[in-house]
Amino acid sequence: MNIHDTSMVIFTLASQMAVGSFIILGVVYLVLRRRATPEETDHVVAPALYAIGPVMIIGLLASIAHVGDVRNIFNVFLNAETSWLSREIIFGIAFAIAGFAFALLEWFKKGSLVLRQAVAALAAVLGILLLWAEAMIYYSLEAVPAWNTWVVPFMFVASAILLGALAVGTAMMVATVVRGREPAADADAGPASTDSDSKESGGLMGQIRSRFREINAPTTESEWQFTTRILAWLALVGAVVAVAIIIVSTIYVGDLSQGGAIALESAAVLSGAKMWWRLLLTGATAILLGFAVYRLAASTRLSAPRMLAATMLVTMLLALVGEFLGRSLHYEAMFRVGI
Amino acid sequence: MSTSMTEPGDKYGFFFDQSLCTGCKACQVACIDKHDAPLGVLWRRVPEYSGGSWQVDGKTVTPNIFTYYMSVACNHCEDPVCAEVCPTTAMTIRDDGTVFVDQDKCVGCRYCEWSCAYSAPQFNSDTGHMSKCDLCYDYRSEGLDPACVSACPSRALDWGPIDELRATYGSEAGIAPLPDPSITEPHLTIRPHRDAQSWDHATGHIANPGEI
Repeated sequence: MNIHDTSMVIFTLASQMAVGSFIILGVVYLVLRRRATPEETDHVVAPALYAIGPVMIIGLLASIAHVGDVRNIFNVFLNAETSWLSREIIFGIAFAIAGFAFALLEWFKKGSLVLRQAVAALAAVLGILLLWAEAMIYYSLEAVPAWNTWVVPFMFVASAILLGALAVGTAMMVATVVRGREPAADADAGPASTDSDSKESGGLMGQIRSRFREINAPTTESEWQFTTRILAWLALVGAVVAVAIIIVSTIYVGDLSQGGAIALESAAVLSGAKMWWRLLLTGATAILLGFAVYRLAASTRLSAPRMLAATMLVTMLLALVGEFLGRSLHYEAMFRVGI
Repeated sequence: MSTSMTEPGDKYGFFFDQSLCTGCKACQVACIDKHDAPLGVLWRRVPEYSGGSWQVDGKTVTPNIFTYYMSVACNHCEDPVCAEVCPTTAMTIRDDGTVFVDQDKCVGCRYCEWSCAYSAPQFNSDTGHMSKCDLCYDYRSEGLDPACVSACPSRALDWGPIDELRATYGSEAGIAPLPDPSITEPHLTIRPHRDAQSWDHATGHIANPGEI
């Protein structure tokens, strides 16, 4: 493990988490829109939406750490004609811009619903293209048996769904807990600056403050019902994907073990203690999601959300460490044919 | 003479006579010296490929072992994957078919390093850029042979337009430890050692991994 690899582990996981969260949140939004009021939908979805931006920015910054000469960084767009790396960077930045534009439109409630949905759809499509290009970077290298396999795109998509589902669920729960903390957020603003004051004072800061209050307003009982149902679904989806990751990991090592000498070297790296920890943590993620989170989502009341929030947070951390180990192994398993 | 050694469309490559190579690494040293490469950057490398077994017949044990050398630089492939994957277009194919790193463009992401089965592109940590064999473009421009070719005491290396090399020496390029040539389509042709093994029937191993 070195800085070069670590920066790419962080970039790939962060970008996959961002894309996964954005698309899952899109699905949640489309489902909620048919059942809840627009205000309720916004209030449930908003906290997770604004958590995606920082994740994507962390990823993009980490990716810069793996270049040898940052002065030439703007050349990396030049070879989109044949290089999957150029395409990945273009799609990555385009996804970030479209996502950021959507977040801004949502924050300031600017533009028609159709326009905002179009921007969101564009960001989602760019996100899918980003995942595809990211996987092709590795899949297209014929000289690396451990990468030239369907397992690479599978794992990238699986990471996006698992981390995306966990991030969305965790953001919703953290928001619920924070909103429940009385009434610290308002006290900060001071007595002279009430809600109506800010709105009347207008200006950018006023708008931002009032939007903060809107998002931080306590979760209502009906919103809580939606939140827990969403959480149960996210837990199920996440658990299924975590189990799939474990199954595919074992198939992957088995396939490589039956390959040539170079594939065997990769298989040896993928059979070490690190892999066992990866499988153990991903297994724990599946169990926590499928049992603890799923059941707690059904029984937890809005007045006492902390246990569910804590469980969600712990599950997310376990999954992140598991994915980090898994992605590190992806790079460590890089052995080329030839010399 | 001078212009004919960088002729557009000539697709230059190397010939390696494995039957003559003694593994002395004069080619490797000449390359480092010519290009002033920093420690650890080896545009030309000489892996030692060894293997074998023994036969037991009654009380007689007969060893059957082999070792041969492979001198490898960039093979200036027909459709170079390094140039395909390079995000910056720094990996450039000259009109004469040779591949070089444009130092003004390279961002040092090392993606080409992952893609090449010959480890031809190598990272130079002094510059933060990739570096690789350009088949001594400056020497060729002056009508000189590449440094490695001139340096070989066994005259095991030759270079030229790949079609001419293949016409003279044949078109073998799939000798272990080199990979399946259909992946890379190298501008390389080899006269195999008598014990040479083809890439798909390789039983040996590289005996000097620390030296390449």
